[in-house]
Amino acid sequence: MNYRKTAAFFVTVISCVFFFGMTGAKAAEPYNLGVALGLTGAGALYSADGVEGIKLAVEEINAKGGFLGRHKVELFIRDSQTKPDVGVREVKDLILRDKIRAVINDYSSAVAVAVKPIAQEYKVLHIASISNSENITKINPSPYTFQVVPNSYMQAKAIAVGIAKLAKQKGWKEYITIASDYEWGRATQAETVKFLKEMAPNLTLKKEFWPRLGETQFTSYITGIMALKPDFVVGCVASNDNVAWMEQAKTYGFFDKIPYPGSLITVTELQLQAKTLPRNIIALTRGPFFAHMDIPMMADFVKNYRAKYNKFPSDWAVLSYDAVYALKQGVEKANSIDTEKVKDAMKGLSVNLTRGKLTFRPIDNQLSCSSYLGTITDDARYPFPIYKDIVEVKGSESERPENEILEARKAK
Amino acid sequence: MDITSLFAQFLSGLTYGTILFLVAAGLSLIFGVMNILNFAHAALWLMGAYFSWTFWSLMQGNSFAFWLSIPLAGFAAAAVGWLIEVVLIKRIYKRELYEQLLITYSLALILSDTIKLTWGVTNKLVVRPEMIQKPVFIFGAPLDSYFLFVIAAGAVVATGLWWFLKYTRYGHIVKAAVFSREMVGALGIPIPRIFTWVFTLGIFLAGFAGGIQVPIGSVTLGMDTAIIIQAFCVVVIGGFGSLLGTLVGSLIVGEVMSFTILFWPEGAMVLIFIITAAILIVRPWGLFGTPMRT
Repeated sequence: MNYRKTAAFFVTVISCVFFFGMTGAKAAEPYNLGVALGLTGAGALYSADGVEGIKLAVEEINAKGGFLGRHKVELFIRDSQTKPDVGVREVKDLILRDKIRAVINDYSSAVAVAVKPIAQEYKVLHIASISNSENITKINPSPYTFQVVPNSYMQAKAIAVGIAKLAKQKGWKEYITIASDYEWGRATQAETVKFLKEMAPNLTLKKEFWPRLGETQFTSYITGIMALKPDFVVGCVASNDNVAWMEQAKTYGFFDKIPYPGSLITVTELQLQAKTLPRNIIALTRGPFFAHMDIPMMADFVKNYRAKYNKFPSDWAVLSYDAVYALKQGVEKANSIDTEKVKDAMKGLSVNLTRGKLTFRPIDNQLSCSSYLGTITDDARYPFPIYKDIVEVKGSESERPENEILEARKAK
Repeated sequence: MDITSLFAQFLSGLTYGTILFLVAAGLSLIFGVMNILNFAHAALWLMGAYFSWTFWSLMQGNSFAFWLSIPLAGFAAAAVGWLIEVVLIKRIYKRELYEQLLITYSLALILSDTIKLTWGVTNKLVVRPEMIQKPVFIFGAPLDSYFLFVIAAGAVVATGLWWFLKYTRYGHIVKAAVFSREMVGALGIPIPRIFTWVFTLGIFLAGFAGGIQVPIGSVTLGMDTAIIIQAFCVVVIGGFGSLLGTLVGSLIVGEVMSFTILFWPEGAMVLIFIITAAILIVRPWGLFGTPMRT
């Protein structure tokens, strides 16, 4: 037996184990960040942009060493298929298999509501960047769930402020609603109707239409609404369905005949339907980059996003990018990646985001962020129309009063 | 409510029914002749829609791009259908119905993922020619001008299929195969080849219907899951294998949906399912189907 060779072998093995053990001990633990968005199904369109925003934020942060300059962020991306059961399954898997500390989820409010208790049970941070039903944070609150997008209540109130002004100007009396038949559509429609009752008590809701989520044929809804001849229509139609609805309504001359204020027309629709979108309608959105190009963080984000993806960022990219940076600032405040400490640090935290300096409300972890109304108009600076005469309805103007939240929780 | 508004609602139902007919005709034909319940039919319909968008994108500069992309989508889908029949469907003719359903359902999932990998997750939009961007008014009722083409296409497909089944030799063979494929085979007619071409024709219709769908809204992933249910309702109501039944079933579903949306918006789909369930109980072979087959 060649003892010399055997000894050399063991020395090499032991040296390797020792060396890698030492370097492993020195390297800071990575921060595993989960993303569970509806990459297929009705939410695919918005979710894809959200993932792009998240990837860019993570690249930028990792270029500076990661969270706290030493914890590299590792992304684990899953498809919730915009279905609550799949969303729950994927998030559980992310928690158990990939050991994530936080998850950005979801496009669909129904999925986010279903994921909330799972995140709480496993003590994982849960950040909603696209889904915006108020019930994600209002009822059964979880200290682990945060929302960086204006919620359905805030958006509905912003619409109502705008519509009440117009109704007074134009002498409108009757209106109809058309809303996607699921959590977000129902919640937003209910809030808008409630606000309109308060702000313009003379208005009457003539009829409600509820196309199911995933509807592709809106013609019967369009002719049905036109037959009822309302003074105006309020729409809460989601994502892909909204594209189909707008395209089909336009070919019926719907927007020439019936005012349609306050519909959710995000930067996604502005880009996708650049040639076909009706101009001069008053629309609403959640995070339009062009409203904040004066903020350096937004200007840099748009520049880097364009360089990476060769397009302008949608609301979903902005909001999801902000979600990562809100988390980063939570980690910095906690000076630790420990989830309990970060969770406590984020409560009531003011964060610098692309949309300015915004604060998480301690009562519900809802970011006090703005909603944006404006008139759709062409702009020579962009290859698609943008909002003109933007009305920024601040979070403080549109949030639900705290006493109402407490009452709702008590009633529950 | 005035008569013009009711007429407008009728036209909406007619267009919706026509779209459903174009999707369901192939589904019904394939089941009627081959006894295959093709759950992947709507996925191939969606693939047809994506093909149509691709052809339109490639030929965008030309004035005929918009119109030519629709039948081309039918042919492209038919090629995929032919391949599927030869590779997969041929092997499951004699299997139990539930096995066929499982296999075609798996196929639907595979096709959906293939679509996602090929075309991505972003919506696809086609810009219509200017002549069909405005509504037309029929007796005062508004109608999307593109729907005139959709209704005409539906009429041409219905008439063409009827003519094919009634007056051509192959049509006679197909009709005979609906009743007794063993007898047709006993006469020396190569049943497997007939099946291949029937399946290809059915998928051509699905692809063509997908192409027709594109300019109506936008093409998105998951569109197929909703329409397959409605297409099944159509063929259950009309009767599997019956062309007339599929046409009548489509129009029933279209009109019931349209008028229920107007008068009872929340019950539109419920009513369709009630009708479907009632037909299944009272007349399981559908309004125009045949109770006996061998």
